[in-house]
Amino acid sequence: MKLSEAKVGRTYKISKVLGPPVFVLRLKEMGITAGEKVQVLRKAPLGGPVEVKVKGYCVSLRRDEAEMVKLVPEGCER
Amino acid sequence: MREVVVALAGNPNVGKTALINSLTGAKLKVGNWPGVTVEKKEVFLKYKDTNITFVDLPGIYSLTPFSVEERIARDFLINSKIDAIVNVVDSTNIERNLYLTTQLAQLAEFGIPILLVLNFWDEVRKKGIKINTELIESVLGVKCIPAVAVDGTGVDTILEILVSGNLKTPKPITFSEDLERLVKRVEEDLRSFFKDRCPYPVRWAAVKVVENDEEVTEALGKLGFDASSYRAEAEEIERLKGEDIATIFAEERYSFISGLVREAVKRPYERRMEITDVLDAIFMHRVLGLPIFLLLMYLVFKLTFDGSAPFIDWVDGLINGFIAKWCSYLINLAGLPEWLRSLLIDGVLQGVGLVLSFVPLMLFLYFFLAVLEETGYMARAAFVMDRLMHSVGLHGKSFIPLVIGFRCNVPAILATRTLERERDRKLTALLVPFMSCGARLPIYALFTGVFFKKHQAEVVLLLYLMGVLVSLAVGVILRKTVLKGESPPFIMELPPYRFPTWKMLWNSIWMRTKAFVHKAGTVIALSMVILWLFTNLPFGTSPENSLLGKFSREVAVVFKPAGFGNSWQAVAALIPGTIAKEVVVGALGQLYGVEEESASEKPTEFADDLRQQIKGFFLACRDSFYSMFGSVKVGVFEMEEENTGIATKIAADFSPLSAFSYMVFCLLWIPCIVTLGAYYREFGWSTVGIAILITTVVPWIISTLIYNLGVVFGFH
Repeated sequence: MKLSEAKVGRTYKISKVLGPPVFVLRLKEMGITAGEKVQVLRKAPLGGPVEVKVKGYCVSLRRDEAEMVKLVPEGCER
Repeated sequence: MREVVVALAGNPNVGKTALINSLTGAKLKVGNWPGVTVEKKEVFLKYKDTNITFVDLPGIYSLTPFSVEERIARDFLINSKIDAIVNVVDSTNIERNLYLTTQLAQLAEFGIPILLVLNFWDEVRKKGIKINTELIESVLGVKCIPAVAVDGTGVDTILEILVSGNLKTPKPITFSEDLERLVKRVEEDLRSFFKDRCPYPVRWAAVKVVENDEEVTEALGKLGFDASSYRAEAEEIERLKGEDIATIFAEERYSFISGLVREAVKRPYERRMEITDVLDAIFMHRVLGLPIFLLLMYLVFKLTFDGSAPFIDWVDGLINGFIAKWCSYLINLAGLPEWLRSLLIDGVLQGVGLVLSFVPLMLFLYFFLAVLEETGYMARAAFVMDRLMHSVGLHGKSFIPLVIGFRCNVPAILATRTLERERDRKLTALLVPFMSCGARLPIYALFTGVFFKKHQAEVVLLLYLMGVLVSLAVGVILRKTVLKGESPPFIMELPPYRFPTWKMLWNSIWMRTKAFVHKAGTVIALSMVILWLFTNLPFGTSPENSLLGKFSREVAVVFKPAGFGNSWQAVAALIPGTIAKEVVVGALGQLYGVEEESASEKPTEFADDLRQQIKGFFLACRDSFYSMFGSVKVGVFEMEEENTGIATKIAADFSPLSAFSYMVFCLLWIPCIVTLGAYYREFGWSTVGIAILITTVVPWIISTLIYNLGVVFGFH
């Protein structure tokens, strides 16, 4: 499952980040990396960016980037 | 006297600039969004017997730069002689922040000690997070100081430690076996090759070589060090772990920090809703987000105009009715020659006075913009607007420089440094002039005051929106023609909302307003003198037949289609308007005012007059309050017609439609000479050329279009 398809309010676990190495590295440096938990906070209208909470802070990713982040469900919250 | 250079490093939006302000009493610009500081800034402080130079750097997530402003910070940290690094971290989000700390620790080769400042300690307390600073100190090998940058908590301790030299150099982290062995080998080879003259910190360079970092390997290659020989081994590790080597390093750093944080930080069970969550549910709502943004902007203008109008009247009266009267009285008394009297009163005072009468307007505007900037709403607006920006080929982050453009175009052009790609930077910078900066507001205030008295805020909001729409349209055209290309990733941190302190707001307003007044006293006053010369040469002619008058009447033909070509004064005012936008207002004041005889008779009593002015100020306060918060209708304190002679002259020369067309032209016209300078510094001459071309052709087309459409629809 991709982050772009994730449901608002749910928590997931990142399984893999795809894309060019520079992009993967930047996401990793910001803590968006395999094994990390993400909570999907909201999606902007009209296919705009997605806001997620990861490592205790909030970050927004555009849909195209969110497509590159693969997830597995994390059961229930917390 | 000891000299010490201290660099402030840390993630974006952790309060580095706020800390410097607290440490030194400086008034550098702060805000609550990532990327406020885009250039290196130095502040000096003498503390006890030490001269400390604090260097404020743009925020970085790591020592691998992606954008211009990150590169500035990285290059400074690696290439400069630094005595200590103050690593500011957001202690509510310590895990991601410490990632950079592990990278800074690699600079230990230079023997650079690190002082870890745990900022936002008040928020940590409030949230009930427990941080074991002693454990962090012993594991990372650095000193830890809890602090609150905005109120100065911890500042004395930081200064005390910096001066005492009682600092610790951190231990760089050890990687997993294979990786560590490879890094060690590169380290040794670098050391034996360069002896003591390695251009980089050795440990840092070794990691970069193993990571196969293009920039570093190339630079080392130029010096004769062959970095490619380690590739095979690195690739072996990549195969084994199934990931890119740079990613493996990042992962190991993070797992080290995760381990530390698990031990040292205890978070309480998080409450479901924090203030930030509640506010975001409103401001970033799927459907309402955009309307709320527009409503907020409308409120800003509405309150700015309603609140400042009585004060503008008062300042206008103070300058033209009081100061001008007494000045010309004094000048007459001193028996100065007629031409000098004319230069001082008709030339300088008329123009500068009119510009200064808009100081209250600026105060109100800067106050509301500062609130939006410092609460953290700005980053949300970028989130809400990203889709719209993206559809015209702009980057979501482009939005922030554009919003800063509402305050002033110059910092807006610098703010484009947060964009990763040169093309996006240039595109965004070229659109900045269409954002109506504060200096343009006096022009709107002057004209809407005459023609759209009842709907000032609405008309001005319309102008601002037109600027935005034009910039989007021009953006599409540029993107399709000159500046083609994909738009890069949009990853932006959304900081929690924070209450701006009064001190922060006051600093922001004060610095801006001071700049405005300073400009009025220097650049604008000088422009007024030059303008006066050209309207009075050859000496003794009427203004229409002066050099400027003749020239403007020739040029005016060009503006006939746009509707304001019949007023040579309006056209003439545009010319010096390229120096600074307020000059347009000043010039109109001077050009329309020249025929007027200044009152020079000795008025009543000086003390009486002064008392009148003070009384006027308190009345203005009352009126401002009423008009901002309703109850009293506008009619009650309508501008007294007789003291603004310029208003009647403008009313005679313009129609509402041609006035609107003129305002639109001023909105889109070359912003000012300083903006052009910023283009030159950031991008070079060719961009200055493109900018001038765009900001002369576009305004002409748009205002001509508006005027003619208006005529067709019968608004004339």
